[in-house]
Amino acid sequence: MTESSVSSQLIIIVDTNPVWWGQADTGESGQNQMSLAQCLECLMVFSNSHLMMSHRNKLAVIAAHTDKSIFLYPKKDQGGTSAINISEEADQGDGKYELFGLVNNQIKNQARELVINGGSSLLYPDTVLAGALAMALCYIHRSEKEVGPGEQLSSRVLIIKGSEDNPEQYMNLMNAVFTAQKQNIVVDACVLDNDSGLLQQACDITGGIYLKIPQVSGLLQYLLWIFLPDPTERHKLTLPPKAQVDYRAACFCHRNLIDIGYQSSIPSFVA
Amino acid sequence: MAGLSAVAKKTLDCKDLHSYLKTLPPDILDNLYNHPATCLAVFRELPELSKHYVMRMLFVEQAVSQTVIALWVTNKHQDLICFSEHKTSARVLSELRVWQEQSVVGDLPGWTLSPTFRQNMRVALLGGERAWIGGGALVPDKHAKDIPFLDKYALERWECVLHFMVGSSEGTDGVGNDIIDVLLHSGLMKSEPNEPLPSITPAGFQFLLMDTSSQVWYFMLQYLETLESREMDLTQCLSFLFQLSFSTLGKDYSTDGMTEQQLRFLQHLREFGLVYQRKRKAMRYYPSRLAVNLASGVTSLNTDTNQQGYLMVETNYRVYAYTDSPLKVALVALFCEMLYRFPNMAVGNLSRESVREALVRGIPAEQIISFLRSHAHPKMLKQKPVLPPTITDQIRLWEMERDRFKFTDGVLYSQFNSQSDFELLRDYAKDLDVLTWENPSKRVMVVSRSGHDDVRRFWIRQRQSNN
Repeated sequence: MTESSVSSQLIIIVDTNPVWWGQADTGESGQNQMSLAQCLECLMVFSNSHLMMSHRNKLAVIAAHTDKSIFLYPKKDQGGTSAINISEEADQGDGKYELFGLVNNQIKNQARELVINGGSSLLYPDTVLAGALAMALCYIHRSEKEVGPGEQLSSRVLIIKGSEDNPEQYMNLMNAVFTAQKQNIVVDACVLDNDSGLLQQACDITGGIYLKIPQVSGLLQYLLWIFLPDPTERHKLTLPPKAQVDYRAACFCHRNLIDIGYQSSIPSFVA
Repeated sequence: MAGLSAVAKKTLDCKDLHSYLKTLPPDILDNLYNHPATCLAVFRELPELSKHYVMRMLFVEQAVSQTVIALWVTNKHQDLICFSEHKTSARVLSELRVWQEQSVVGDLPGWTLSPTFRQNMRVALLGGERAWIGGGALVPDKHAKDIPFLDKYALERWECVLHFMVGSSEGTDGVGNDIIDVLLHSGLMKSEPNEPLPSITPAGFQFLLMDTSSQVWYFMLQYLETLESREMDLTQCLSFLFQLSFSTLGKDYSTDGMTEQQLRFLQHLREFGLVYQRKRKAMRYYPSRLAVNLASGVTSLNTDTNQQGYLMVETNYRVYAYTDSPLKVALVALFCEMLYRFPNMAVGNLSRESVREALVRGIPAEQIISFLRSHAHPKMLKQKPVLPPTITDQIRLWEMERDRFKFTDGVLYSQFNSQSDFELLRDYAKDLDVLTWENPSKRVMVVSRSGHDDVRRFWIRQRQSNN
């Protein structure tokens, strides 16, 4: 089969941690901050750009919240794009491509629901990144099974993250990352705030790009320049070189990142 | 003879969107970019690198220096391929007038996106401006149609055209004069003076074997060429066509705000089965899959997304067609010897005679193979390669068999008085590399047409000096 039957699927995991976004929004350091709404706007333009690249491209957006992860797009209950849904949700009065309008509306609605209903339990300053990544991998696995004969699907994951790393997730995240590596899924990371050692490792292992954005207000341009090209085209373009990777593992019992680890020879055990 | 074989081998040239747009004059091209749908369609057809260039420059208001853009691609020394890809990507963008040359500060050559293109791409991506034609809200249709209905409708309409081409009587009454005009114009059919209905040409046979989306695309290209004689505006129709191809299947659109010309165009599209309209005066229409696939089907020529494949090909040259449509069986029968016919399937045999018959009709081997491949049964698609290599090779061999003759124009030299005369002239012709054939015992030789003048002049001089 020719190359034209390969469709590219992008799964975006966006961090919607209310603690971090709340701090960022009320942050005193002025112009280098952006709100969750602005971030979602950038995200929607970026996802539409991905869909625009080719009619075969597919998209899914997952919000990683503080205690759960949900799909922003496509909606869960909607088995296939039924016509009624489209005509109801895509009503719009401007010159945007209809599909883009539909995607934007769904993302906005789902995000609104998440923000309104999501704050019931205790808030933690970290995000369930490992869970979201696992969801993405499951989704990819399912969609790869669903493609018709003679077609191929190449998938990748992009993580947009602001909140702090939580070493407690180290094990789960690494398991998910190694699964991704085994499935040939590239994991990219775009970090808004502090460097994340966990994501650096994830990108390095799967061959993705890790970028800590120097200027948060330029998020969209960074996304379009660096994360829009597919892994198959990346070798043609000049992209930022690989940064130093922080390869510290977490202590298995205390969940702290450690500089020197000792490994017992009998069970695989780092302390 | 040489001329004849060249005509028979001419393959149907199905242009892609890019090469079609290149043929348009620049001012029409600029006009086309006034609609977001056209910009989207053009954008999707660009080479991968060009797409990224456009995306990177979409939000940059000023011209970007050419050297800067060249730096966007990796320029390692061994990566000459990347550089040539950059060259072609840049050339395509200039050819389509997506970007124009403009010097940046310091008189360096630079490129800037065409303002209308930039503007409309942003509209398509971000929204704003006025809605697309017919994009406004509609009251729910009491005769609402679902997708399976539209698919069935579109396929029926389209098969009408194909039925008409093969000359079967089924449903041909639905074929209007407009369709016949286009078919005649494109040379797919030609009208005989003493026959009431036009007959199919070799190009038409090739057309029949293309997959549906390329058929529609080829047909629409030919239709657009006839637009001028109908006094219709190419820009309006083309942008409407692109808009149609970006609309949602199964949704109805209003005809409000469409111009007189676009309404006429809509009626034509309705005839081809690209849109469904319940009545001529109905205020709403549904785009069908044929229209929606138009922009997407242009590049992926080998997969037919409309319908499932129905052909099984076995290594013993048997072809099983799981279909009850007489048209599909007729298509297979173009190059197969049909053996059995069952209610839901037909069995044929690929034989040397049957394939040669198709070749004589002007259907090239590649087209037979691509027809078999694009209509292959889902079970066949699972194996790799899809078709048994013995079959594809054999079909190609049968085609090459017919190419054993090579025709060259030439002049025969004979009746030499002596062997030495013959040898002298022959060696001269050989030195000039114009000798095609020789037979020393009979003292005859053939010199190619281009060399004839030189050889004759040499011979006359030779004779004079001898006398």
